[in-house]
Parts: sequence; C-alpha cells; structure tokens
Amino acid sequence: MAAPGGGRSRPTLLILVAAALTLLTMQYRGVEPLAAFQRGVRDVVEPLRSATDRISAPFRSAWNGLLDYDELVAENERLADELARQRGRRLTAEADAELLDRLLGEVGIDVAGGRSVVVRILGTPPGNFATHTIEVDKGSDDGLAEGMPVVTAAGLVGRLETVDRSRSTVRLATHPEFRVGVRLVGSQDEGLARGGGQTGFLVVDAGIGLDAKVEAGEVVVTSGGRSLFPADVPVGRVLDPDEDADYERTVVVEPIASLENLSFLNVLLIVDEPTSADPSGLRGG
Amino acid sequence: MTGRFRVFALLLTAATLQATLFDELRIDGVAVEYLLLVAVLAGHHGGPERGAVVAFLAGLLHDSVGVSPLGLHALAFAPVAAAVGHLSARLAAGARGLAALGLLAAVASGVGVAAAIGNLFGLHPVDATTLFGTAVLAAVMTGTVAVPTSRIVQWAVTGGLPVDVNVDRNPGAGSLRAPTGRIGRR
Repeated sequence: MAAPGGGRSRPTLLILVAAALTLLTMQYRGVEPLAAFQRGVRDVVEPLRSATDRISAPFRSAWNGLLDYDELVAENERLADELARQRGRRLTAEADAELLDRLLGEVGIDVAGGRSVVVRILGTPPGNFATHTIEVDKGSDDGLAEGMPVVTAAGLVGRLETVDRSRSTVRLATHPEFRVGVRLVGSQDEGLARGGGQTGFLVVDAGIGLDAKVEAGEVVVTSGGRSLFPADVPVGRVLDPDEDADYERTVVVEPIASLENLSFLNVLLIVDEPTSADPSGLRGG
Repeated sequence: MTGRFRVFALLLTAATLQATLFDELRIDGVAVEYLLLVAVLAGHHGGPERGAVVAFLAGLLHDSVGVSPLGLHALAFAPVAAAVGHLSARLAAGARGLAALGLLAAVASGVGVAAAIGNLFGLHPVDATTLFGTAVLAAVMTGTVAVPTSRIVQWAVTGGLPVDVNVDRNPGAGSLRAPTGRIGRR
C-alpha cells in the first residue's frame, strides 16, 4: 500500500490533466498525427484481436449460450410466432413492397447502383460506452475512408467513423450525434434528421414547417446536396408526423434498414471532400 | 529489469488484454475495465503521484485501442488513481473487505467519470440509469480479476519494495531520515 504524503502529486496531477486536455483539444482540432497514432496502435493490436476472435469463438458461443440461454429460448419462440404471422402477412408485405418500389422509383432511387464494398459486422468496439457504434471487418486496405455512407439493401445504416487498415467503425443512424439531411418523398419537404438514441428512431426537428403536410408512413430519403450522403438513399418511414405541434415540429422516423441483428453491410465508395477536420465525427450529414 | 520497463510491459500487456480477451467476454454488453483496474491498483500500490502517471498512460492506451478521442480516458483515470493513492494511504491498511469495496467503488467511479467526460465532449450518450448499471456491473466484473492483477501491478510499480522510505540521519535515534523525508524508488 502506498505511503501517505504525495506532496508532489498535485502538481503532477495538474500537469497530467493539462496534458490530457491539450491532447483532447488537439484531436478535436484535427491534428493528424494523433489520429495516425491511434490508427497505428489499433493496427498493431489488430492481428492479436483477430487471432483472439478466432480462438475465442467457441468459448464465446458457449459463454453467450450460458448467459443468454433464456433469451435464446424466448427468441426462438418469438421467431416461430413471427414466422407463422409472416406467412399470413405475405400478401400485405408484397403490397407494401410494391408501394415502396413505386415511391422510390418515382425519385429514381438506386442505392445499390454505385460502387460498394461488402463488410461483415464484428461487434461493438472495445469499451463500455461505444453505443450506437459497430465494428466491421474491412478498412483502408479495401478502399474505405472516413465518412463513407453505410447502407443495406433496405436503406441507410450510418457512416464510417474511424477507418484503420483492416477494421472500421460505423456510427449508426440512431446515434444521437448522427445528422443527415432528409427529404420527405410525399411532400418534398426537406429537413435535418438526427439519431434518436435509445428510442431506435430518427428525429427530424429542423426544416419541417408547422404547416407542411406530412403523413404517417411517408417515405423519407436523404436529400443530398451538400450532405455527406448521396441523394435519395432510403432512410425510413414517418412514424409520427407531429401534426399537433404548436411551436416546433418534431417528426419521428422509423429506420427502414433494420439496425438490429445485422450481419453484412454495404459501404458506398463515395469520397467526401472534407471542408474542415473533424475527427470527432460530429459534423452533420 | 528497470521499473519503467516493468510499467511499460504491464501497460502494453493490459492494453492487449483489454482489446482482446476482456473485450470478448461481455455480460449484458459490459466488458471488464482492465486498464482502469491497472490504473486504480497503481494508485493503491504506487501512491498518488506514481499512480497518476501510470493511470495517465493507461488512459492513453485505452483511447488508442478504442475509438474514444485521445486523452479522454487519460483525463478520467489520472485523478481517480491519484484519489485512490491518497485514500489508500489514509484508510486502514489490511482491511481486505474495505479494500475490496474501495476497489469496486474506484472502478465504478472511473467508469462514471469517463462517461461524464465523454458526455461533455458529445460522446457516450447514456442516461443515468444505464450509466449506473454499467458502472456497477463493470466494477463487479473487473473485481473478479483484481487479485492476480494486484500482485502484478505491485511488482511493476514498486518492484516489491515500499514506495517511500523514511530515513533518519541521526544514528542515535535508531533510524535514518532523509532531509526531504521521502526517497521514492523510481
């Protein structure tokens, strides 16, 4: 156990705190060597992580099976029920799909038309608070770069936040700091959507006027323009048009792309021309 | 093996374990905070000053293997380790139950402080309930690997010797005391 005293500890602690704040400030100002240092460390550790992934896979499965057995049983039952319901809903689903295709076709949406890279989801990044962020198995060696849009066949998922040589992290659209310019296909109104965090929805709380005609179920796509994202990528459907708003309108959008139980994603190889350094990834889309 | 090399080896090993083994074994999405544990134990065994330095480096490594901005965990870990160093010196030595509770509280505090700082910088958006649950669970999980880690950290930061040696230069007094009152093993 440490001896009492520590008369020198206060100046030392102050210096360390100042150094940490300086590093944080430099990182937020986009000092490239710091980001490069982090990428370098992660690249060094990556082979070990991959090896651990492979070695621990059976143990991890057993561990998850042990801890989540009840959940697995419940999910199995839920899926069986869901399958039975889906059989009955097939016709309705087909009709919905046709409607969606028609709506997207009206605005010339072609999400899968551009060059893309298929990536596999590895899980969450290290740490206990990397919420609404996932890790994928490809990086700069495969042509990926920070800011690239990430989609599924259904629509928008998020964008690349950090890109190492062989791994990348994706900031999901539900992340509270995620921003994307959107357009309502029916009314053609444009606004700025942000992630709703734990709600799992997106919220359009800027740009939609109180008198705009917004209907529940209306398709929402990216607006393009100066946005990081290309235009017309499906985002979701309006869940709550907030028609009764008196002062500020907040339209709730349910994402089209299921952000749960994802396995593979598409990264659109669209290089964003940065206008200002922002390693924190706080810049809106 | 020099003290600095021991600390360097300890931190690299801890960072690798944090990013590999302990990142795989999660309960309810929560993982062991191994680098925070090393930081807390460095404060306990090495005292506030040395603990703060080791914790600062541990925090930098945490930020490097993770996706948080460089300096965020360093900013959180160093004060926690310094506080642990001060408290360890003042609380009753040898009370294992108290030490265990203190360790859990320190780890939970470290998790909370890191989340709070992250929140200030627009990261880690978590509500209070989730944060509390995550901090407590992370502390309990981290506590399970504390005993073997404690010995390793003690070896690394002190080399098995006391951190401070009081030396009285008056032979008649039967002990030696240096003019500064402290000789720290480096």
